[in-house]
Amino acid sequence: MVFSSLTFLFVFLPIVISIYFAAPSKFKNLVLFISSLIFYAWGEPVYILLMIFSTIVDYINGILVDKYSHDKNKSKKFVIISVIINLSLLCIFKYADFIILTINGFIGTDIPLLKLPLPIGISFYTFQTMSYTIDVYRKEAPVQRNIISLGAYVSLFPQLIAGPIVRYQTIAEQINTRKETLDKFGEGVSRFLIGLGKKVLIANNIGMLWNIIQSSSINNLSVLSLWFGISAFSLQIYFDFSGYSDMAIGLGKMFGFDFLENFNYPYISQSITEFWRRWHISLGSWFKDYVYIPLGGNKKGKFKTYRNLFIVWFLTGLWHGASWNFVIWGLYFGVIITLEKIFLINILKKAPKFFRHLYTTLILFISWVFFNFEEMSEGIEYLKGMFGFKELPIIDVNFLYYLTNYAVVFIVGIICATPIAKKFIKNKTIYALILFVIYFLSIAYLVDSSFNPFLYFRF
Amino acid sequence: MKSKCNKQIAVIFIISTILLSLLNIIVTDKEFSELENRYLQKKPSLTYKKLLSGEFSEDFEKYITDQFPLRNWWIKIKSDVERAVLKKDNNGIYFGKDGYLFEMYNKPEKTFYKNIEYINSFIDKTNINVSIMAVPNSFQIYSEKLPLFANPYDQAKVLNDLKNNLVSEAGFIDLIGVLQDKKDEYIYFKTDHHWTMLGAYYGYLEYCKVNNIEAVSLEEFQIIEKSNEFYGTYYSKANGTRVKPDKLEILELIKSKYSYLVNYIYEDEQSDNFYDDEYLSKKDKYSYFFGGNHSLITIKTTNKNGKKLLVIKDSYANAMIPLLANNFEEIHVVDLRYYKYNIYDYIKENNINEGLVLYNISNFNNDTGLAILNYY
Repeated sequence: MVFSSLTFLFVFLPIVISIYFAAPSKFKNLVLFISSLIFYAWGEPVYILLMIFSTIVDYINGILVDKYSHDKNKSKKFVIISVIINLSLLCIFKYADFIILTINGFIGTDIPLLKLPLPIGISFYTFQTMSYTIDVYRKEAPVQRNIISLGAYVSLFPQLIAGPIVRYQTIAEQINTRKETLDKFGEGVSRFLIGLGKKVLIANNIGMLWNIIQSSSINNLSVLSLWFGISAFSLQIYFDFSGYSDMAIGLGKMFGFDFLENFNYPYISQSITEFWRRWHISLGSWFKDYVYIPLGGNKKGKFKTYRNLFIVWFLTGLWHGASWNFVIWGLYFGVIITLEKIFLINILKKAPKFFRHLYTTLILFISWVFFNFEEMSEGIEYLKGMFGFKELPIIDVNFLYYLTNYAVVFIVGIICATPIAKKFIKNKTIYALILFVIYFLSIAYLVDSSFNPFLYFRF
Repeated sequence: MKSKCNKQIAVIFIISTILLSLLNIIVTDKEFSELENRYLQKKPSLTYKKLLSGEFSEDFEKYITDQFPLRNWWIKIKSDVERAVLKKDNNGIYFGKDGYLFEMYNKPEKTFYKNIEYINSFIDKTNINVSIMAVPNSFQIYSEKLPLFANPYDQAKVLNDLKNNLVSEAGFIDLIGVLQDKKDEYIYFKTDHHWTMLGAYYGYLEYCKVNNIEAVSLEEFQIIEKSNEFYGTYYSKANGTRVKPDKLEILELIKSKYSYLVNYIYEDEQSDNFYDDEYLSKKDKYSYFFGGNHSLITIKTTNKNGKKLLVIKDSYANAMIPLLANNFEEIHVVDLRYYKYNIYDYIKENNINEGLVLYNISNFNNDTGLAILNYY
């Protein structure tokens, strides 16, 4: 199930909220666990077994890691087992065909593909469950002896399918004791509605433009249409993804949880380094804490620092999808961030602010082209078109049509991607009014939803 | 901005969400949406198999969306918002000026060229005189009413392409100029993808001119309005946009010359006229002509001139055949989307001596039924 659906809003959520708040404290985690399993099973019922398997494996490993906490060697073994099992799940369900294709391509074998449907959100929850045993091992969080409570964490439906990646240490305490208040519920509602509006009103609508451009043959487009198209995608992916995070954080609050923030106006960044501190924060900090630093971070000399950066960005790319273009996309960022570290940042500091924004935006547009085309050659054609290497017309009447047809949503998108709007709305009543106008319009758009894609399906 | 307002927000959200959820349960399900011209999803039955395959959840989501309380009202809200943010199209339909809706027509692809091959093979395999009539869409005739910068593919180019690829140009009939001359008249529906019967009359006139047939003049007809609330397919696709309905009018001979016997072969039904009154009270009023499309219709008239016409067609022909019926002894109307028998045997068996291929250009670009012409 996805949040941006009428079934979620008007069937699932009211039922879950009613039961949750009617249930006594000690059953609240059970309610969350069961409803999360139903939420997950909704699209692919069979994969409910996967979720239960994950829960049991991590439960046992957690207990064993804790039991042998005095014996580093033994407890380390169980962490490794847990990581291997989790990564195997991820590899089998997400990367098997990619690995087979790569092997077939390199040595000319003909191993048949598995073609397993991708369990929704598997990249998110395997990372979360890994964080559990690792945190217990590092004594950054206490072991969870109640399997229901651990199950509620593993399957917690607000962040199950599209993050943020909530690490166990963040909510270890909240899982056992948390306080739901009307005040917090309201805070959650307003966060949820903002996310819903981002997804349904902005991302879906601007996404239609990208959909048109992407499905046209490049030779029939003009240079400006290509630029307009990729900027539309930049907005779409931000509002889609951060909208989901907002909805997740909001839902969490309704049930008394506090998740960490996942986005912080990434498009106002003045460098790529800054962008990655503001974009998908939970993923960046996961890789930092569980990969980069354990590998030695930047403390073990130049060579190892670069090696570690390479590994982290390779994995960041691969995490986004089982295809080489995502790896290129990740490494591209790795290279730019390294260059920024070495000298670019110093140059940028001297440049005017306008130039820093221009630089960052340009780098990001190019990255989204890599991100979009699984077939690398298509992405390169698109870039060639953008930069005038394909003898396309600069401008054509279709561009003017797209521009005028999407101008309003495009401008609204740009404004909402910056903190400007927040600054202007100071009056509480107006704020509440805007929230419910967003709610109202989102319902209208969901009732007549011809276009409601889910970008994070392959994550 | 924080704290104090939160409680109110929580309460309003809970109340409004629960109210809508309850309404959702209380409001009785509708079977058919007139607005969208489609059957709505019914409550899916819960079986073990459907649940496991995920089919149940898929149908259930559709069911909730389709049966949402005040669905049409929400759709209209969305449509109004789209207008307010200056959107110029929805779901492949342009919002034109003066209440016109138009198709977002794209450059034809492979199917178009395949279809030309099939027509060529039809011309080659028969020795009858074949006319080819590809009728343009309304946007081509009323291009000045398209929204600003809208740029559908030029159908004049498509027709040129068609003409140049035909084995013989002899029977090719170009209607763009003819219809453009009459654009001040009501020749296309504003909300539907068809031409009106008056538009079809000018097509008929051109057909007669090219084939040296004496056409019935317009003065001999009277225009009769059959309905003034026709919301067509463009309207259904564009969903909830505020435009006025079309009128459905027919041309009827003031003094009828002949009598007709219309035979719906595979339905085993007969009639003495071309119309089906049932459709006047339905959504799809264009189907008033012959009750929609049929695989094979024969029309026998008392005009014993020995001329027997075969029409290979889509629904555009339905408005023109009643006019053609005045000039032929027999008309055999074949819709290749449904008729899958050997058309060449049929021509011989029925001593047919004239052929007309009549398609709307946009349909002709996408129709895959013509392949059957190559099959036998």
